[in-house]
Amino acid sequence: MSWHVAPDLLRAYARGEADHAAASSLEAHVIHCPGCRQEVAAHCDRQGLERVWGEIRNAVEAPPSGPIETLLVRLGLADHRARLLAATPSLGASWLVSVALSLGFAAFAAQQEERGLMAFLVLAALLPLAGVAAAYGPGIDPSYEIGVAAPMSSFRLILVRASTVLASTAALAALAALTLPRVGWMAAAWIVPSLALTVLSLALATFMPPILASGFVALIWGSIVIVTTRVTDNGLVAFGPGAQIGLLGLAAASVLVLAFRRDSFDLGSHV
Amino acid sequence: MSVTAIEIVDVEKRFLRTYALRSVSLDIGSGITGFLGPNGAGKTTLLRILATVLAPDAGRLRLFGLDPARTGDRLAIRRRLGYMPQEPGFHRHFTAFEFVDYVAILKEMTDRRVRHDEVRRVLELVGLEDVMGRKLKALSGGMRRRVALAQALLGEPELVVLDEPTAGLDPEQRLRFREIVSVLAERRTVVLSTHQTEDVAALCERVVVLNEGEIPFVGTPSELAALARGAVWLADERGPAAQLSWRTGEGRHRNIGSAPELAELVEPTLEDGYLMLLGTRPREEVGR
Repeated sequence: MSWHVAPDLLRAYARGEADHAAASSLEAHVIHCPGCRQEVAAHCDRQGLERVWGEIRNAVEAPPSGPIETLLVRLGLADHRARLLAATPSLGASWLVSVALSLGFAAFAAQQEERGLMAFLVLAALLPLAGVAAAYGPGIDPSYEIGVAAPMSSFRLILVRASTVLASTAALAALAALTLPRVGWMAAAWIVPSLALTVLSLALATFMPPILASGFVALIWGSIVIVTTRVTDNGLVAFGPGAQIGLLGLAAASVLVLAFRRDSFDLGSHV
Repeated sequence: MSVTAIEIVDVEKRFLRTYALRSVSLDIGSGITGFLGPNGAGKTTLLRILATVLAPDAGRLRLFGLDPARTGDRLAIRRRLGYMPQEPGFHRHFTAFEFVDYVAILKEMTDRRVRHDEVRRVLELVGLEDVMGRKLKALSGGMRRRVALAQALLGEPELVVLDEPTAGLDPEQRLRFREIVSVLAERRTVVLSTHQTEDVAALCERVVVLNEGEIPFVGTPSELAALARGAVWLADERGPAAQLSWRTGEGRHRNIGSAPELAELVEPTLEDGYLMLLGTRPREEVGR
């Protein structure tokens, strides 16, 4: 082989300024010519090459993400936050479809009679609570113990997951509420209870496993709804203005407890 | 002499009325320390305490001189810690790469390129480079175990806590594991629990025997084996004075106990010493 890379072409290639035909010719040549390969390597930006190589490996070797993670990244979330959320059991496609179907049936029932409206409100308030219960904790998160031993704050992780689950479930509930007959502000009467019950369950989760805390809150609130319905003969009293104010107060108190006891999530005391 | 990385003084842990650990005291330095003991001895409880996922009820614990009961200290410890639980759970819809990447994020690695390079490094270290794109649910139990080991090695932690790391591994994988851990321990503190006395004999500079929440023995593997010196003999039949006796593959009986005169004494193994120490029937987890 008599032809070798000319110094001008070599410098132009290293700067990324060689035209396509010349660059292809050079690349074909250096495969078989150790001398020219060494010359080209000496002129190329090593850091730049490593960066490009890293990107190529990421594109080829990093496996494609699931649909939820891909959607979150497309919505603008940083890839590491999207992966944290993708590991949330109650953000999976099957969970969200189940929530959507449940709310759809409840909204349909609400169009038939007043009891149906109460069923919809109760369900819309409890579903975020169930979602948060299924977002984090021993027995729920498969890698819970590994997560507790990691430096990322468990409190931060549970807040990120809980707020995302709350937002996604609330969005589905809001869509379902749009299909309700003309019931005025009662169509949104589930919002404060869902928020208050979720925050209360998180506050209680500083004392017991999250799944138990959510179950306890759901049981107590469900009992209150049933008792007030029987006593007052008004199925919607648990969603009335007085109840809403009381639940807001409960939510505020729960936030204080949560802030005061947030360290308990990091102690792994529920393992 | 190795620097003390772990200081345990009179540590106790109870679950309801049952003591998992009773006044345990121990110093652990760099190198590999192996915990041996029957099921329910308290090995996993102690390792969980060392991994900061469980707090002791009483006693003093210091990791790198830091107190895991204090928020700031605990965070500093976790930044220097790698932990493989006894039953590591997996997000089964994740691939091996995605799962280790997820743990890397929990370990505060947010730069995508640096994180992915590190994920590749640990997966290659445990020999999983060819299956990193496969779903965890499609991997064998041994492969998933290696994924769990890989996540514990992320960020080159100074303290590595491994609970039953060789359970479910085939002989070749166990040899590979020994190679990885022995290289790892050249500059770090590795604490592991196992039922495989061969792993302890092959790997550990120090062995700690736990039984019913207490530590009856701390020493080198050869010191543990030496507990049975003069008390292990071969015979054609079960020795009447033997505490333990089993028929070997060669058709002779290996006896442990008070050896009779003129008995054909043999050099004890670490397992003999362990059985002699616990003084009970051979337990199923101490397999040969």
